[in-house]
Amino acid sequence: MNRGTVLQSKRKLKVAIIGSGNIGTDLLIKVLRSPYLECGAFIGRNLSSSGMMKALALGVPVSAEGVDYIVKNPDCCDLVFDATSARSHLEHAPLLKKLNKRVIDLTPAKIGLMSVPSVNLADCLNEFNVNMVTCGGQASIPVAYAIGKTQKDVDYIEVVSSIASRSAGPATRQNLDEYIKTTEDGLKEFSGATRTKAILNLNPAEPCVDMQTTIFAKVANPDIPKLAEMLSGLVEKIRKYVPGYEIILGPMVENGRIVVMARVRGLGDYLPAYAGNLDIINCAAIAMAEEYASAAPNTKLKGH
Amino acid sequence: MEHNQKIRISDSTLRDGNHAVGHQLSAENIASYCKAADAAGVSIVEVGHGNGLGASSLQLGEARTPDHIALATARKNLSKSKLGIHVIPGFATIERDLKPALALGVDVVRVASHCSEADICERHISFSRSQGVEVWGCLMMSHMISPMLLLEQARKMESYGAEGVVFMDSSGHFIPADVQQRVETLVNGLSIAVGFHAHNNLGMAIANTVAAAEAGATLLDGCARGFGAGAGNAQLEVLVAVLERLGYSTGIDLYKILDAADLAEQTLMKEIPTIKSVSVVSGMAGVFSGFMKPVSRIAKEFDIDPRDVFFELGRRKIVAGQEDIILEVAKELAQRAKKGNQ
Amino acid sequence: MKLECQERTRHDCLRILDGRDKALDPLRQSELVVIGGTGFVGTWIAEMVAALNDGYQFGIKLSLISRSTDQFANRLPHLANRPDVSLIKSDVRQLGQFPANADWVIHAAANPDVRTHASNPLDTASVIVDGTMSVMRTAERLSRLQKLLYLSSGLVCGAQPVTVNGVAENAQGAHAPDACFIYPNAKRFAETLCSAARAQSRIPVLVARPFSFVGPYQSLDTPWAQTTFLSDALRGHPIRVLGDGQVVRSYLYGSDAAYWFLRILTAGQSGDVVNVGSPVGVTLQDLAIEVAKNFEPSPEILFNTAPRSAGRSAQLLPDTTHAQNEYGLSVFTPLAEAIKLTAQWHRMQSH
Repeated sequence: MNRGTVLQSKRKLKVAIIGSGNIGTDLLIKVLRSPYLECGAFIGRNLSSSGMMKALALGVPVSAEGVDYIVKNPDCCDLVFDATSARSHLEHAPLLKKLNKRVIDLTPAKIGLMSVPSVNLADCLNEFNVNMVTCGGQASIPVAYAIGKTQKDVDYIEVVSSIASRSAGPATRQNLDEYIKTTEDGLKEFSGATRTKAILNLNPAEPCVDMQTTIFAKVANPDIPKLAEMLSGLVEKIRKYVPGYEIILGPMVENGRIVVMARVRGLGDYLPAYAGNLDIINCAAIAMAEEYASAAPNTKLKGH
Repeated sequence: MEHNQKIRISDSTLRDGNHAVGHQLSAENIASYCKAADAAGVSIVEVGHGNGLGASSLQLGEARTPDHIALATARKNLSKSKLGIHVIPGFATIERDLKPALALGVDVVRVASHCSEADICERHISFSRSQGVEVWGCLMMSHMISPMLLLEQARKMESYGAEGVVFMDSSGHFIPADVQQRVETLVNGLSIAVGFHAHNNLGMAIANTVAAAEAGATLLDGCARGFGAGAGNAQLEVLVAVLERLGYSTGIDLYKILDAADLAEQTLMKEIPTIKSVSVVSGMAGVFSGFMKPVSRIAKEFDIDPRDVFFELGRRKIVAGQEDIILEVAKELAQRAKKGNQ
Repeated sequence: MKLECQERTRHDCLRILDGRDKALDPLRQSELVVIGGTGFVGTWIAEMVAALNDGYQFGIKLSLISRSTDQFANRLPHLANRPDVSLIKSDVRQLGQFPANADWVIHAAANPDVRTHASNPLDTASVIVDGTMSVMRTAERLSRLQKLLYLSSGLVCGAQPVTVNGVAENAQGAHAPDACFIYPNAKRFAETLCSAARAQSRIPVLVARPFSFVGPYQSLDTPWAQTTFLSDALRGHPIRVLGDGQVVRSYLYGSDAAYWFLRILTAGQSGDVVNVGSPVGVTLQDLAIEVAKNFEPSPEILFNTAPRSAGRSAQLLPDTTHAQNEYGLSVFTPLAEAIKLTAQWHRMQSH
């Protein structure tokens, strides 16, 4: 990542956040902390929600007008984080495209390119709608990518994620199938594996557990040293934007398959620290936005 | 003592039993046992990977017989008995797994979650209901929450359209009073049927299942010779005999179910389930029975006592599907032992 | 606050803790947040925490959240200025600054003053309903929350007939949906919100239903029997009892109540509902007599002969079998002692 080469005289990239729930508010705190981003609008539906109050207290312009605010005030932002719902995003996307805004989609809609910052940041620069896959995807795709690059004949990759039950709200619970499909598609795309499988467990243990993801791979002749070398480089990249990401086991061969276990502890900006699953998505989204900030205005938007 | 109470038996030999053989039941196994169970008049025959539809994986063990072949084979060999499946959202998806299964002629869908997470079952239950099949909700590891909270979760399933709720003693932890209390709470709080699924780690499976029936449960699970995860389940043919003795009507022919059990013993299992030391420990610790094989294997690899692993897993309240945590626990215990020896 | 008064309330707490401190061990080295922390219950919990920290080295960090933190700091500097106590000024409906590392939360924010309920029913309801919703939403973001205890009310089950046994937690019944019952109905709805928060957000919440209390820190300006009798007696007036004096109540002493709440918070299971109060009923006539005993010369007791209005509860008495069986809780300070201690404390205050 070319984080270190940002020009000093660079103007910060103006962003808007649609969706003032816990995820949007956590994103806001990360945006405000970023040296490359500034928040031009924090948009929701209820001005008295805790997220809105937090934004007001932080001096950020707020609106309860939804995406119309951006339509009416196009100068408020160049990039939009959409943390609403799949249905809402399908309404927002064409409007924002017409306005020439970059979009980072944090909903289950996922109509654009999948973005995994440690792996395909450059490819996303030309896109104007990217999504952050899934939490399990963000945690496992870099590993799957490394396996795909260092191992011959990757037949099958399986990813099992376990998240704290308290970190899974109604939206997560009603979209397990979508989570599984998106993660499996992402794994296939980034690893080149013939078959992939994703499993999600909700762990009700108290105190709440951090997110934990295990990656299994069926590979004819595993080359662990090669994998370990590539993986350590990737993990270094990941930890730049997700400090709570850690490989806690492997890579190793156990029972004839490659096993790697990763754990993600959240930053606790607005979401609880155990919700590493939610934090990794937000951290990845910020990393993506910061990359746009560094690259603009040198990159042309696709389609224009 | 005449009960005139109709009890339906759901035979999990070809599903829970799959745990005991590392999910290696063959199509021939399925065909022959289904014929025998059908002949005996069993209400529901449940077929599939130990962890249900779509669960064949490296995490839980790869099935010898893929879901579609298992179900097609079973369907061909069941005429009076209903064909049932166990479905856990997070493993099985509606598009990839459930739709094809229903297309193959499944009659009964039991959508299961950990006992405190019933709301992940909403979509699968609603979908199954919309397809016109019989749908049950299933609450696993039900010893981990209070009877009142179990009822809260069961009510969610009722609201999604489940026609009944089965609660499972996945770790074989209960004693009869525990079961009675839960069945009573569920029967009083729900307007749908209640079922119970026992495991035998503490030798209580039959007693627990009888307690469930006495308290008002109308669907009871059993497996031939107790063929199931860990120490096994309620021994089906014994249960049928006991229920007959108590005056319940199950619709099952005693001689024919005994024949089915003999067949299961001869062809399905490598050994008849017994309660091994490690099962006593997992029952006491309240840890999922299906962990027995990976715990034994990994404990041997790290040269530590599997019983210590179970108590630690129990302490951490690890749930089914988290087999990957066993490696982590083993590593930690091995390190602790090394430190202790220094 | 006079030193002898401080010593009295400290002694009240230590007396309860003697031989019972171990049961509160889960509180050691933890962070406790009390919302509505400057009222009667909050103040007694602060006293109990201070006693646990000073007397038993519990190391509890206590945060009291309330709109009235300034008045609390003025009135009770011996609590407010402690290094282990933080005051956070906030309306429960907008919990902006909330300690992120809270292990335990007690939601005790509500105004039980019936005069406010009558004059400001909407505001009363808003604090209870909007406030509880706000607490639940805020609790979703706590990383270390072990348990959240919500203080409801013994009134939620509606009017109870006069029987020997008190009302148990699973009693059926509720008040009519009228403004005169805004408080118990709002409390009832807030209990439903707790259950919903558990269902949707997995908040580990349990409910305590407080009945009537007596003790220091209870303002004598409130229109309750125990406070008006004391107030009358302290002023040297006759004790005026409204009605025929046959209404039955029960009273739990402040330090007892604080211990009960902390015990239930730490030992209780998510989903539990527990009555908190004394199961020993006393008619208002007998209460007046008990109060009068503490004064020399003994004040006259006057009964109002106006008929009792329909709908007023003839008895408000909890069945505390559950608290007894599940938590080992009982009345530690019998009523006579409780009245005596309270009367003494007020006299010490004014001298």
